[in-house]
Amino acid sequence: MAELRTVPDGPAAAPVVVPGGDRDSRFARRMIIAGASILSVVALVAVFAPLLSQWGETEIDAANTLVAPGGSHLLGTDGNGMDIWSRVLYAARLDLGIALAAVALAVVVGTLLGLVAGYFGGWLDDVLMRVVDIFQSFPTFILALAVAALLGNGTINLIITIAAVNAPAYARLVRAEVRSLRELPFVDAAITSGASPVGVLWRHLLPNSLTPVRVIAPLNCGWAMLTLAGLSFLGLGVSIPEAEWGAMISLGAADVVGGRWWTSVPPGLALFVCVLGFSLLGEGLQDRANAKRR
Amino acid sequence: MRIFRFVARRLLQLIPVLLGVVVLAFLLVRVLPGDPVRSILGQNATEEDAAAARARFGLDQSLWQQFLDYLGGLLTGDFGTSIQSGSSVGSEMALRVGPTLELVVISVTIALVVATLLGIWSAKRANRAGDHSVRIFALVGNSVPEFWLGLVLVLVGYSILGWFPAPNGRVDPDTGLTPLTGADLVDAVLTANGPAIASAAAYLVLPVLTLVVGVVAPLLRSVRASALEVLHSESYAAAKAHGLRDRTLHYGYLLRATLVRLPSLAALVFGTAIGSTVLVEYVYSWQGFGQWALRGLLYRDYPVVQASVLVIALCYVLVFLIADVVHAILDPRVRL
Repeated sequence: MAELRTVPDGPAAAPVVVPGGDRDSRFARRMIIAGASILSVVALVAVFAPLLSQWGETEIDAANTLVAPGGSHLLGTDGNGMDIWSRVLYAARLDLGIALAAVALAVVVGTLLGLVAGYFGGWLDDVLMRVVDIFQSFPTFILALAVAALLGNGTINLIITIAAVNAPAYARLVRAEVRSLRELPFVDAAITSGASPVGVLWRHLLPNSLTPVRVIAPLNCGWAMLTLAGLSFLGLGVSIPEAEWGAMISLGAADVVGGRWWTSVPPGLALFVCVLGFSLLGEGLQDRANAKRR
Repeated sequence: MRIFRFVARRLLQLIPVLLGVVVLAFLLVRVLPGDPVRSILGQNATEEDAAAARARFGLDQSLWQQFLDYLGGLLTGDFGTSIQSGSSVGSEMALRVGPTLELVVISVTIALVVATLLGIWSAKRANRAGDHSVRIFALVGNSVPEFWLGLVLVLVGYSILGWFPAPNGRVDPDTGLTPLTGADLVDAVLTANGPAIASAAAYLVLPVLTLVVGVVAPLLRSVRASALEVLHSESYAAAKAHGLRDRTLHYGYLLRATLVRLPSLAALVFGTAIGSTVLVEYVYSWQGFGQWALRGLLYRDYPVVQASVLVIALCYVLVFLIADVVHAILDPRVRL
């Protein structure tokens, strides 16, 4: 059922006719709202972790190791006697922080490389794209493992690791976008009216080529978080006693066989919900972008 | 004929890529922080012991000499000697590839079937409740950490229900299975060892399920998207307007056109699955290629890391080559 819909304000202020699109966009909107709500809650938890937990991030209750949930420990304690509930909350800081910083870094570096390669072309483009090819001829997690082993752990190194693995994809995306934008008349117009290459890149090509990046970035944040947790799980990421979901799961992995679920299930659940938030947001944005293109 | 020429050309193009990978892997392991011989010597080793161990593995020679030796060995099929175990990397790897390949191939196959069925079903009901639940399921599969899902499945399937064996290997050692290929289920079938078939299958269920959930999600999204594209295409509308039967529409138009995209997707997902097995094998103590490569990386076992990087890259590019060929066979419009 085709229907004329008007959006009051925002980027798509013009009336758009979307065949059968009303339901579609309603679902997309719901996904965006659900994703954004989950992420807001996680962000609030990260900020207010001290207020929501009665134990410290690395505080040890030596008399109570591996106790089951209940009593003074809401979700029990791990083998070191640290409170699971408090640590699950505190971990949101490191997980969210590293994932966001890594994706931001990857976007900046990848976009710059893509802009330069796409605009100037030539040997620079060839070299950059061959490097991207080599990066992309490995499964990303394997690549992350190698770079993590190379740089060692520590927050900054993990951010660089995850950014390095992701940047090539952005470079390729932006390069393709710039190459098609370059052929458009408005770029020619800018050049003939005397704009410098940097001016053209910055004022005209950059804003326009960021559209696909905006859609991919949220999905990528979720992936970054899974990678971080996976690295920590294998001992190549954040290490105990710092609170990070993957490292907590790793510490509790051995307890599972004996049926002690509380050391590894809660941090994994938190990780899952947070990544789901990014996925919902990203999928909703993608739907919306597709609807606009049609 | 054209396909053979295409394959030959692509195989030739592989040579520089793989050479690049060999050089990169060789350099990568040597810039890794840490000393490969220190970890085998123990606490009280003197500087002379370390020097002697380095000489034994040829690590005291110049970088060029080491590289040429390594390359010369590769050309004769010799991957070198593991620093940790002292045995041949090639024969160690041969034991490890089978189990991992078994895991990945079974999982990707199941995921492909599930994704095709569910994806087309979902596209036909676009924007209705069924479609929305399939999409949410795909998002969940995309978001769940595989290693954690593995642990949860162990908790439920082994610790609570007791239906599946503990995560401690691939087959019950009491079944006396003779290893042939390393893929235990295949070996059990080949040697007609009844108890081993049952045991290997039982051990496979949870790790395969873990991998399938992670792998099916991206496939499902892509199948749904390409099925939707077909449903909205003019050729499909024309076929429908001509009053073709539903069966013909479904199998001749929708299924065929959707499947065309599947090979390249499968190749992509195959790579993701190889990455995931490192985590999944760790959870289930699978003792496959992923765990072996990870150990090599953690202990700076140069020859092991170099060999595993090369094999992963080779697998990856070969799978993409196969995907391109299958694509060309399925879709007559593709010109190689």
